[in-house]
Amino acid sequence: MVSHVSIKLASERVNHSVASNNDPPRFYTPGEVITGIQDFMRGHGTYAEDDCLKASVAGVMQKVNKLICIRPLKSRYVGEIGDVVVGRVLEVQQKRWKVDTNSRLDSILQLSSVNLPGGELRRRSEEDEQMMRKHLQEGDLISAEVQNVFSDGSLSLHTRSLKYGKLSQGTLIKVFPSLIKRRKNHFHNLPCAVSVIIGNNGYIWISPHKSDILMEGNKDAIENYEIQPVGKSERETMARVKNCILALVASKMMLDDTSIMFAFEESLKYDNVKELLDPEAMLDVAFLTQHRINIIAEE
Amino acid sequence: MAGLLLSSTEKVFIVHGVQEDFRSDGRSNIDYRPMELETDVVSHASGSARLRLANTDILVGIKTEIDTPKPDKPDMGKIEFLVDGSANATPEFEGRGGENLASSISNTMQRAYHSSQAFDLKQLCIVEGKQCWKLYVDILILECGGNWFDAVSLATKAALFNTRIPLVKALLMDGGNVDLQLSDDPYDFKFLDVGSAPLLVTLCKIGEKCVVDPSAEEESCSVISLIVGITGNSKSYCADKGASNITDVDIKCSTISMNGPGSLAPKTLKNAIHQGM
Amino acid sequence: MPAADLLSSQGLRLDGRRPNELRRIRCKLGVFTQPDGSAYLEQGNTKVLAAVYGPHQASKSKMSTEAVVVNCQYSMATFSTGERKNRPRGDRKSQEMSMHLRQALTAAIKTEMYPRSQIDIYIEVLQADGGTYCASVNAASLALIDSGIPLRAYVTACSASLGRQSATHEPLVDVSHIEEAADGVCLTVASLPSTGSIALLEMSNRLHMDHFNIVLTRAMQGCRDIEVILDGAVRQHLAEGWTKQDVITI
Repeated sequence: MVSHVSIKLASERVNHSVASNNDPPRFYTPGEVITGIQDFMRGHGTYAEDDCLKASVAGVMQKVNKLICIRPLKSRYVGEIGDVVVGRVLEVQQKRWKVDTNSRLDSILQLSSVNLPGGELRRRSEEDEQMMRKHLQEGDLISAEVQNVFSDGSLSLHTRSLKYGKLSQGTLIKVFPSLIKRRKNHFHNLPCAVSVIIGNNGYIWISPHKSDILMEGNKDAIENYEIQPVGKSERETMARVKNCILALVASKMMLDDTSIMFAFEESLKYDNVKELLDPEAMLDVAFLTQHRINIIAEE
Repeated sequence: MAGLLLSSTEKVFIVHGVQEDFRSDGRSNIDYRPMELETDVVSHASGSARLRLANTDILVGIKTEIDTPKPDKPDMGKIEFLVDGSANATPEFEGRGGENLASSISNTMQRAYHSSQAFDLKQLCIVEGKQCWKLYVDILILECGGNWFDAVSLATKAALFNTRIPLVKALLMDGGNVDLQLSDDPYDFKFLDVGSAPLLVTLCKIGEKCVVDPSAEEESCSVISLIVGITGNSKSYCADKGASNITDVDIKCSTISMNGPGSLAPKTLKNAIHQGM
Repeated sequence: MPAADLLSSQGLRLDGRRPNELRRIRCKLGVFTQPDGSAYLEQGNTKVLAAVYGPHQASKSKMSTEAVVVNCQYSMATFSTGERKNRPRGDRKSQEMSMHLRQALTAAIKTEMYPRSQIDIYIEVLQADGGTYCASVNAASLALIDSGIPLRAYVTACSASLGRQSATHEPLVDVSHIEEAADGVCLTVASLPSTGSIALLEMSNRLHMDHFNIVLTRAMQGCRDIEVILDGAVRQHLAEGWTKQDVITI
């Protein structure tokens, strides 16, 4: 792209849908009867009325033994214990933080569920309570794990592991939670020297590789690291990863380390990262990625 | 808009990126995001356009009305801007939430179009001193992803380009009153000359450098932004290197005093001319 | 009082439709990325955008521990009508519209699912040509589905009027602006067609009790027809957006 501005007409709009090679499944829409038989269990996205099980959202059915769920195309994040999430601190309260995790209600991070500097398991003193803002303040991003789901659906989080905690430099992308594949591991150090945290809640964090020294929790080193500028080549790869993820999202493709890596490799034919902002290039990358995923699936 | 919350480290990342001339989506400091433009979308309006700049979505509708010109400017028409932040864009705009932002945008637009070099209001005159066209430019913000001013001005220009002014078929002078007869044929109309209509370019100062087309995240990192109105030379309209003519310089401070921007203005202005489309 | 001139001698309406014919409906789900759900709907020349935010944490003052709080705002673009409007919202008519929307949509949303939360539904009328309420309800219904909020069923709205052809009365479905302006009867119904229940009913002008039933039946039939159209659009949207996922079917 030579010019700095590009304006397209809406009539030349790119259709982002990437044809997947299997037939679309059976869809259910709100109010539709799924089954009249009573010996099924009511899961998410369904309700019982007039002796029938009906769908309450539009999506496809998932059946585990006798439990029937309808999964919508997109929705707010519904947390499950053990999920890895990325969240943003909204409020510092008494002995706890309120965290936005893209779910229906704000999530809670108790002071007792974080690793405080300097100590393994020690009692939380009043001093700690007063120092809460020093630890995490409004706007800070954290990675955490879902510890518990309350009856009203709100989540409580914990960061009691070295891999969780406050996030340093990088960028955040918000996508629909339904596009995230549930995996064993959501922390990925991609081969292109960028680490990605794919939160189950649809928040994706891209940051430069952390060196191992920093993992040991040397406080000075971390603080130093937080203000050190990120190198240009790292920045370029991060931007490329970001644009690749956005390209996949525009075509509503599932995200995990494999698809992101495929997209990254396919995108390398565009020399300049900003070319990937162009809708046609985005579609091209998504299409090629889908193609490679299909090949793998066939094998 | 204060809604966006960023952590200090994210801000550091953005600021350093601007310093390096490499932003988080791969753009350099003078790159715009891809835009999508559509005209003639609302049939009830005389002219309309919709512009989508990444996440920012603007719909402009123009309505015409017959009015009497101002006594001090008998040969000029009128143009009025109204910006409406739809609650669709963000829940913060619900009720009267978006009014501050809306009025600041419409005031800036009003000032940019005020100059006669920018937009020739004489073409809106029907009978000198008696009758003129009044253009209502209604701007609707449907989704916000940063950089409203640029998007609004661009969409407005497109909508004005698309505006059809009905032709006047007959004039009846009845004493002091003028009776107009408009043409009934919907294909009997004239277009406006919008070659010189101003465009606004927002320059966001982040760290030591300025960027164009800031995303919402970048906007929240900058303490000050400078909005420059640029009119293209009407002869070389559409050409890329038309001699630009700065008509309106509006310095908007969000938090700091006027001294800061003063020292910065000359440099950025030069920059802005350079970037004039 | 059926207005006399709503039907021509050939039995056609002012815009050439047959009495039981809806205007063309075109719609699209997921038009914006920032809201949780969004939809665009065109019903003839009436064009409406709907956006849904939520469910999210309700503000303290509004919070209810029993059910979700539904918040609606209806606004019309200043250029949407033939005469320019001065204010996009806040006038009495749009406040009334917001209230009626809220009533119809709350009937469909499974509100008991989400205590302490709030759902914001915003409607923006881009172009008005009669039946803005109906179009708004239909668009909001689509936006709610797009956002994945559990609904009992589709909620759709349709209006009906009464015309007269020689001696017989004929109900007219989906009233357009010129028919509204002709001072005829206008009965608006919002309903959950698959359950057959009515969520909101409003009528203006005089109508003889004898004719009420046929007009209501026609409007309800309109709601059912609209549901079929919306359902088709939702299924198409799902088919386009569905990526390969492990799906088990009965």
